[in-house]
Formats: sequence, structure tokens, C-alpha cells
Amino acid sequence: MLSRDEALTLCETVLAHARAAGAEDAVVSVASEVAAHARFADNRVTTSGRSEDLTITVTVWVDKRRGATSGNDASAAALGQLAGEAVQIARISPVHREYVPTLGPLEYPDSRGFVDATADVDVAARAVALQDVLRTCREASVSGAGVHTTNASATAVATANGNRRYFRASEAACSITARTEDGTGSGYYAGDHFDVRQVDAAQIARQAVEKAVRSRDPKPIEPGTYPVILEAQAVADLMGFLVGALDARSADEGRSAFSAKDGKTRLGESMFDTRLSLHSDPMHAELPGIPATDEGIPAERITLIRNGVLERLTYPRFWAADRKQTPTPGPTNFIVESATPLTPLPEMIKGLARGLLISRFWYVRLVDPRTIVLTGLTRDGLWWVEDGVIQRPVRNLRFNQSVLAMLAPWNVEAIGPSVRRSPFMVPPLRVGAFTFTSISDAI
Amino acid sequence: MSPSFSRREFIASGTALAAGIVVPGWAEIFQSGPDVDAVRAEAADEALAQAAKLGASYADIRVNRYRRESIATRERQVQNVSRSASYGMGLRVLVNGAWGFAASHRVDAATARTLAGQAVAIAKANAALAARKVVLASADTVKATWTSAFTRDPFDVPIDTKLAFLMKLNETALAVPGVSFVSSQLLLVDEHKYFASSEGSRITQRLVRTYPQFTTTAADRARGDFQTRPVVDRAKLVGYEYVEDYPWLQDAEQAGHEVVEKLKAAPVTPGRYDIVVDPSQLFLCIHESVGHSTELDRALGYEANMAGTSFLKPGDAGTRRFGATIVNLVADRSQPGGLATTGYDDEGVKADKWSLVRGGMFVDWQTTRELAPLVGQQRSHGCLHSDNWASVPFPRMPNVSLQSASTEVTRDELFSGIKRGLFIEGRGVSSIDQQRYNFQFGGAVIREIRDGRLGAMVKDAAYQSRTPEFWASCDGIGGPASYRLWGTSADGKGEPGQTNAVSHGCPPARFRQVNVLNTAGSS
Repeated sequence: MLSRDEALTLCETVLAHARAAGAEDAVVSVASEVAAHARFADNRVTTSGRSEDLTITVTVWVDKRRGATSGNDASAAALGQLAGEAVQIARISPVHREYVPTLGPLEYPDSRGFVDATADVDVAARAVALQDVLRTCREASVSGAGVHTTNASATAVATANGNRRYFRASEAACSITARTEDGTGSGYYAGDHFDVRQVDAAQIARQAVEKAVRSRDPKPIEPGTYPVILEAQAVADLMGFLVGALDARSADEGRSAFSAKDGKTRLGESMFDTRLSLHSDPMHAELPGIPATDEGIPAERITLIRNGVLERLTYPRFWAADRKQTPTPGPTNFIVESATPLTPLPEMIKGLARGLLISRFWYVRLVDPRTIVLTGLTRDGLWWVEDGVIQRPVRNLRFNQSVLAMLAPWNVEAIGPSVRRSPFMVPPLRVGAFTFTSISDAI
Repeated sequence: MSPSFSRREFIASGTALAAGIVVPGWAEIFQSGPDVDAVRAEAADEALAQAAKLGASYADIRVNRYRRESIATRERQVQNVSRSASYGMGLRVLVNGAWGFAASHRVDAATARTLAGQAVAIAKANAALAARKVVLASADTVKATWTSAFTRDPFDVPIDTKLAFLMKLNETALAVPGVSFVSSQLLLVDEHKYFASSEGSRITQRLVRTYPQFTTTAADRARGDFQTRPVVDRAKLVGYEYVEDYPWLQDAEQAGHEVVEKLKAAPVTPGRYDIVVDPSQLFLCIHESVGHSTELDRALGYEANMAGTSFLKPGDAGTRRFGATIVNLVADRSQPGGLATTGYDDEGVKADKWSLVRGGMFVDWQTTRELAPLVGQQRSHGCLHSDNWASVPFPRMPNVSLQSASTEVTRDELFSGIKRGLFIEGRGVSSIDQQRYNFQFGGAVIREIRDGRLGAMVKDAAYQSRTPEFWASCDGIGGPASYRLWGTSADGKGEPGQTNAVSHGCPPARFRQVNVLNTAGSS
């Protein structure tokens, strides 16, 4: 990966070429990345590899006309050609009506989410860890499949107006699916962290194996509306659709779940359980984010939902200028938390008279953007709970459920401690009503 | 309405740009010539030789360059014109029966030696964990060059011509009263692939894809309601002639009318319906329920942690009923225009065509050189693919298609006899479980069928079924004249995730008594 000096020097070179070719404004980014993985199934490693790449992107404006190119060749000739080609594209493009001048000099804190141990993963140590995982699976007579990934990147950005920034980030993740030999039980567990040493593959394997064994021989129940407990993973599987709707422009244009009648938005409405809040914080200790938005606005802690009220929609620079708003300093991550004392998962189960315990969801898709109705299926661990005790595994179910209704004030019963499921910190939840529409035979 | 339009029309529309040079030159690596080819061959040879020296029993390398051009617009403005290029090499080695892989964006002999060292070290570390050694099916040694079929290279077409096409498309949709928004895109992909193996194969291929798309939206601001109508997913392995020959403007106008009608359409009444599914929707159903369930790596559990397994078991080929006897499904990597069409796969196996389901019986799998021996087959069907030089190649789907009836059967003939049914067109929301049993599909446009005739549009409908029952309920398939090939450009699978472009051909088909849901929610 490139150092700050190396990456910014490349940026300056491309900027100089762009200016020489006639660019009036420009932004150049140089991202170097290294990624490694080991994938296993059938109790052996199936694929494993390492790759490195470089992406140089230049966007220029000439008479407010825009052109953009990217490539991965850092040779002197290629850098000049990349900039020249962007300028040529700009010259033949129409005026870019959403042009906003690039940012000038700004101060940024260093990113906190990078460690060398993740960038330079020790292949031998990883093999030993996976050996433990596979042994755990063999001893439990389950078939283990999963993946261990490490990624690291360094990104430098320079604008013609003097903005300079450089951030590094790393991410390690491990997920494991254990399947019983008779094919009737399956369990999944996952963990991620910016420091690979914090990803405990052995513990993830034990959780997956336990879920597989406990989920053997599930029996069907009637589809319908039930109280459910969503483990944190299941909440994370749905959360992307909620945060994807927080864009102000879509809401202003009347095509978002946060659009209201007569051209208004739902800002300020108490739409969610009053204990729920959603914020973004680049300095979060467990889930640090890049301390700048993609557009370069220095990222700050921002609250999007406070005590159930939709407090903020996000404005990128153009839409902020159009609507006379300030560009939103985020989000760079999504932290869902409760304002009141937390209910750990075992307590949630004890407090459930009749309902389902859900491990995770699969193939979740947005069916109705007006109310964020999603469809998808439960997977790798679904149990019937009665009188506060897990009674038996049940067959997987397909759901059709609005996220807005799921998190509504009348529906949330209990909120647990949040855990990292990048890019989210999410809690397990118990909700009063969750709607399933059919049975799946899949294990 | 004219199916396409000329540059003159564009200039007359007032959107035209300054005339002049309109095709900026591409980077040197795309000026294919002896110098570039010689460096590439030397790096590949060096990587293979070094891998062998370090103990690899087999090695192969892909030295690939890609270029993409993307133009995005919304309403009457251009949002983005961008080009990207990527060049690099990925080496795969087999050591002590275990795989290792290493890739870099630097293509030279010194980097090739470094990659060989990295890939062999990874393979050796993993070999200790291998309960079973990888054995490859035999393959022919191939020295060949192959280029996908196209008549007009999209990278030679002036950018202003492409911009004019998209702006005219938008204008046509916006001219329909009630249309609030339209976005459109043109994505062009050019892959130059070089493959070399330690067994002596040397293959050069070029693949060109053209992908126009648009979405219309109608919003009722007073009621706070909105609907969208996307274009059918129409990426193809063809050149720019696709933009010029297909009636895109007619399609845009129709999309405008349909999205406005959809906003006013009555919600569907849930229940059991006989449904006729148009190729523009059925292709996606084939993709999810047939394409993925017949992947052998899934049946063997390789995808258990991500895409999932399959309801088909490794011993099922030749013994398990998949659907009604009229159902015949074919895998084909040589189908003209198919996104998964190729000359050779990413381990040098020639494009193949074979039956997956014949007379309703499941008869064969999708395989690679590693997978074929695991079900007792001597040869691979050629399904290995990597989406980038930096990605580890693994099993990916060929074009999988439903064969048409042997005689002509029209759409109206499929409608006849249906008292209460639905006709489903276009891409809607899709979701299917991890063993490919339970699925739910929406559509872009859904209309009632009443007493054998097409009726009013309905909204908020999705059909939901179980793969074996769905294909067993098929009792009518359109004839050869109604066969269409549609595709998807971003099919996800694997970890780390990779995307694959793949097409599916089919005529419309009729399915009896399928469960239909009303998917509208309230908050």
C-alpha cells in the first residue's frame, strides 16, 4: 500500500497533467488496496489468495463540463493519458448542471480503523486458526464452510482547490456455516473487526456448531404474524434498507419512505420506538469510520434518529446547495442504540410467552419502497420459544414485513446491547409482530 | 415511432455539443500490439515456470485488461461520463492437492516471480488442512484466439452519439403526461483476456458487452405515492448495433404510459391464479430456480456459507424429476448474444452445450475441471470463471434457457382457457431461499387475464412458489417465434463476492394455480 507521501505525490502529478490539459477544476484520488482470503468448505480450504491493486481516478471540469476516468497504471505516461482523456471527455460533454466547485483545504483527524496486522495478515497463523475451526467442526460431526477475509486500503485525494486528505482503513471478517451430517441442521455465525487479532475464529466456529446442532430436524409452523426475537445479525440484515432511505433528495422528490403528502418530508415525525436512536460517529471505538464523506466533508458525530424521531436526512453537496442546506458531515457508519437499560438476549427469551427466535435473514429485497416492505427468508437457526424457553427448531419461513412497522413505537418490546456487524452496530430486538407468508424447505 | 434516431435529430433537439473530435483515445494497453503482447506472454511464462520450480503440479494464469465506459443521465441532464481501465494478472497454483492464488496490477516478469512465491506459500499453508486432494479432469491443450460477435465496436462510437441516444430516450419517456422522473444509463464493457496454463494452453479472447437501461418513475405528490417501471434487463454480448437496431424509443414511451397507469392501478387481490410469465420475467425465474440449483459446487456444499446449497443432491442427475414432461432446460456457453457466452472458460475448456433438464427430468450439472470427477465425469462442461484478473476463478453459471415448444404456440393461445389469471412482464423484486426451493418474484407490469383475454393492470403483486411444484405446474410453453434472450449483468456469488453476466432464453410459459401475494405494506 502507498504511504501518504507516495499517494499524494501521484495525486499531484495527475492534477498537474489535468491543469496542463485545460481542466479548470479537478479532483484526483489514488487508492491502493491489498486483500487476502481463505475460503473453506467440505472441511478443507477450497480457494485462497492474495491480490493487490491500485485505482487512480480523476474527475475534471472544463467550462462546467465534466469528465471522469480511472485506471490502475501508475506509469508516468499512463498518468498523463488518464488526465488528458478526462479533459477530452469533459470538452465533449454537456454542462454538468450539478457541478459544485471542489473543496479547498480542510482539517481531518487521522482515521482510527487501521492496523498493520490486518494489512499484512500472517498466512501461516491464519492456517492454524482455520485448522482449529475445522477440528471443531469434525469433532461435532458437522460440515464446516466459511471464509476468512482481510482487506486494507490507503486512499489519498487532492483537489485543484487545495484539499488534501489521506486515510487508511482495514477490515477483517470471519463467517462460518456448520451443517449437520443428516442435512437437517444448519448454523451460521460471523464476526468482524478492523484488527484481525480481534476476530476470534474459534469462538465463531463454536457458535455456528451449537446453532447447527440445536436446529436439527425442524418442524413446520403455520406462516402468520408472530412476536419475534431478532438476533443482532438478523437486525443487521435488514438495516441497510432503512439507512438507504435516509437520502434527502429522494424524500424531497416524493419517492422515498420518508416522503410525506403534499411535497413534504417526514422529518420531525416520531416514527420509531422512543428508545431507539441511530447515529454515525467516525471516532467510534469499536466501529471507527473514515473521518470524511466520499465528497470530502469532514465527518462528525451526527444523529439521524433520536428517541424515535426522524431527526435528519442526508444532504450531499449539490442537493444541499440546491436546497440551501449545509452538506451533511456523514454518515460514515451506522450505530443503532437504545437510550434505556438494555435487555440481553437471554432475558429477551425469558420474557417471550410465544414466538420465534431468528438467527439471520437471507436474500432480503425491497418490495415496496413506500413503507420499506422487505421480503426474504430466515436461515441457519430458527426456533419456537414458549413460556420463556426455546422449545424446538422450526422450518424456515419467508417474510414480507415493513421495517417502518417493525420499528414502530407500538411494536418494539425489548432492545439489547449493540454489537459490531460492519458497517453497523446493531442490537438484538424483540418485536411484537413480524409477518411470515410461507414456509421454506431449505436447510 | 422511429426505432432509433440520427445525429441530425440530436442536434435539432438543441442538446447538441460542440462538434469536433468525439472519441478520445484509450490508454496504451488497449492499443493491442506486439509489444504489449510480448510483455504479457513473458510475464505469464515466467509465472508458470517459477510456480513449477517451487513445487506446483499445475498452474494457470489470466492476464486480463478491461475497459468500461459508463454514461448516466437523469431527466434532461447528463450526470456522469466516465471511463475506467484495469490491467493485471492472477496466478493459480496447485501444490500438494491444494490451491493457492496471487494477483497484482503490475504485469512484468519480476512481479510474476513474486506472485508465484506468494501463491505457492498460500497453497502449502492450506495443503496441511486438506482432507482431500484436488484432482482435475483432463482437458485439451488449446492454442486459440476468439472474439465475441459484434458489428459495431461501441468504443469507436462518438460519446455525443451515445449522449444523444440517452437524452432522446429520457425525453421520450418524459413526454408522457404524468411521468415525474427518468434515469438512464449506457454501460459498455470490453474484456481482453489472455490465458496460459502449465499444460501448454495459450488462449486470447475479446468479449464486448452493451448494456442500455432506464427507469421511469411517476410520483403523486399530493397523495405521497409513487411507482417505478424499469426496463427489462437487457445486457447482451453484442456491440453498439444493439442500441441502433432495437426500438428503444418505443420502449421508453411504453414505459412512460405503463408507469402512469401503474400509479392508478388497483391493488391485486391475493390468491391462487393461473399465470402466464413473459420471457422478460421468466428469465429471472429460470436464473434463480434452475441456474443456481444445478450448480454442482452448491450441491457439494462449497457455497454453504454464502449462496447456499441446492435442493438437488450430487446423486440426483438422471434420477430426479424436476418439472413437467414438457420442460426442457439447456446450458449453453455458445449461444449468440448470451452474456455467459465465451470461446473458452477461465481454465481453457471449450464452450459447451448440454441438457440440464430433459423431458422434465434433471439429467446433468454445471461443472469445472475440479468438479467433474466428483460426479464421475471425465470432462468439464467449462463453467470456471473469474470476474477480474484479481479474483480467484470458481464455478459460474452458463446461459441456462428454457426450450420453446416444437410447434408454434402464441401468447394468446397460452391465455386461452384461463378464467382468472395474471400476465407478468418485466423485472420485479426477486428472492429465493438458500436451497432454491421457495421463491417470490414481482414484475414490472402485471395485468389480469379474464376469460382468456388480457385485462386491466394491477399493482403490488408478486408470485410465490416452490421450485419443484412450480415447474411441475407448467402446462404451456410458447413456440419458437416467441423465444427471447434476456440477461443479467451482475449475478453475485462466492466469497469474496464476484459478479457474473449471464443470459437466459425462453418463450412465455403458463403455470397453474400459483400463489399470488399483495406486497404493499403500511406503516
